[in-house]
Amino acid sequence: MQAAQTYADVNRDVLRPLFKPTPLWAGALALDLVVLAFGAYCWAYQLEWGLGVAGYTPPVFWGVYITTFVFWVGIGHAGTLISAILFLFRARWRTGIYRASEAMTIFAVITAALFPIIHVGRAWYVFFLFPYPNQRELWPNFKSPLVWDVFAINTYLITSTVFFIIGLIPDIAAVRDGSSGIIRKVYNLLCLGWRGTDNQWRHYMAAYGFFAALCTPLVLSVHSVVSWDFAMAQTAGWHSTLFPPYFVAGAIFSGCAMVITLLVPLSKIFEWEEYINVWHFEHLAKLCLLTGSVLTYSYGIEHFIAWYSDNPYEWGIFVDRATGNYSWVFATMVFCNCIAPLIWWSKKMRTNLYVLFAVSLLINVGMWFERYNIIASSLAHQFDPGSWVYYQPTWVEMGILAGSFAWFGMWFLLFVKLMPAVAIAEIKEAMRPPLKHDHVEAA
Amino acid sequence: MSDNVKGVFAHLDSLLTGIARVRKAGYNDFTVTSPLPRHEIEEAIYDGMPSPVRWWTMTGGLIGGTGGFTLASLCSAVWPMALPGGKPVVSVPAFFVVTFECTVLLAGLFTLLGLLFHCRLPSLNLDIEVQDPRFSLDRFGLIVHGAGAKRAEIAKLLHDAGADEVANAEASHG
Repeated sequence: MQAAQTYADVNRDVLRPLFKPTPLWAGALALDLVVLAFGAYCWAYQLEWGLGVAGYTPPVFWGVYITTFVFWVGIGHAGTLISAILFLFRARWRTGIYRASEAMTIFAVITAALFPIIHVGRAWYVFFLFPYPNQRELWPNFKSPLVWDVFAINTYLITSTVFFIIGLIPDIAAVRDGSSGIIRKVYNLLCLGWRGTDNQWRHYMAAYGFFAALCTPLVLSVHSVVSWDFAMAQTAGWHSTLFPPYFVAGAIFSGCAMVITLLVPLSKIFEWEEYINVWHFEHLAKLCLLTGSVLTYSYGIEHFIAWYSDNPYEWGIFVDRATGNYSWVFATMVFCNCIAPLIWWSKKMRTNLYVLFAVSLLINVGMWFERYNIIASSLAHQFDPGSWVYYQPTWVEMGILAGSFAWFGMWFLLFVKLMPAVAIAEIKEAMRPPLKHDHVEAA
Repeated sequence: MSDNVKGVFAHLDSLLTGIARVRKAGYNDFTVTSPLPRHEIEEAIYDGMPSPVRWWTMTGGLIGGTGGFTLASLCSAVWPMALPGGKPVVSVPAFFVVTFECTVLLAGLFTLLGLLFHCRLPSLNLDIEVQDPRFSLDRFGLIVHGAGAKRAEIAKLLHDAGADEVANAEASHG
């Protein structure tokens, strides 16, 4: 595929869609901004009237916001997995898709970071989460998993963003060199005057390797820490040592599905089939099959352990999830995450773009419902039957949920028009270098 | 007139030949530019000497790790309210997460600083010969600095190595 291309072809193909808004792109952005405006209105409404406008029903005080927070953090896993872990493993199939996946990660974590702020209600007090010198001598409780989470999410966001930007620098320089006027000046500033000298590449490659090594444990640790937000509590259905691997597998599963959801249309619309094609999507589908199997096993084993523990509270919550008020949530989760992806065991199905896109959408839906199932059903069915309730989200929460997708979509749409969404320098690395010796032989 | 001689190469093997010949002729003040990182170029110039960026990474990691653990310990010590369940003031398992996260965070930020420092970035005013848009497209550059009176000799050397174009040189080598 790439052997027939020259380095110049790569620049031409990747830079072609930049700065040229098509009607499709402009329409998508306009629709996105309308949904985002509605989400912003919902948040403003909540800020004015307080958390009472959310559907919280005592003792359920974690609902759609925490569900959506965990969902977006999970989505943010695939990009760094693809860019860092697969880089260290020298997986060649990552080259075409890693830039867009990494962008997806950054935007997903930025989206996730909004939800603790939204969830606390009085957003102007959110800085209480951070350790800062203050006259009241109040400090965060470092033995609380919620404070661990603040550190984990912020470290992940900062480190992944730096890794992403470092990867972009040589390609921004390529945009600069292919443009003129004000765009050239702006991109020269953005790439910090990168020239691709031997000295720069030498330190760049060393730093890139270190970043990949640093990001690798972060991929595994972030969702482990998120899972401890639940597992460290005594709540039935949450208090389990299974949670870290279960959450990490789920995060990679949902993240890879989101990469498929985003890149199937992107590759088609931008005519990038030479760089992002079925070969990449099939690998992602296989990764989903692996992590989906781990997830299905986790669903099964947590039910088994609840039954085997002979603890009536623990078993009660798992029976209630499957047969109680939230049985429709449970059924959606099982269908989307355990049954629907099975179709990808057939090579014919996992190489069909329509099937890939449709199943990836189902996985996205299923993984949001998985978090909703864990959070809402456990809190609504705690130890005292007198406190059992049925929590239902309000229009405000659903509006903010929709707004979060629009917020994520807005960043992604702007990114693909302003930055090279395929890594130019790395695509060139994967190609055979131009050698005079070859030309002599051919002649 | 610039004191540099710039050779533009379309082929990697020609560039490597050029680097070897330039070094053999005793010219060590030169810059190579390329649209992608190639280990062959690094090997030809630096003889396997590793980048010092690794020391920045390690320094950042050590500062981050000790700083994170100290932050958690001191916060717990000065605010005894944060002692749920009778746990010790300094609890290694409970503080492990913050220690780990701070290690990675500071190691990453120090790596970034090291990269910028050693790459001399931001650097918006490099030699004009290096600012050639072809070097981020499909051409390799070998710019020999301070050629002085030996410009013609260097230009011939680059031309013979396989440079497609030699700038700031005698017309016969262009």
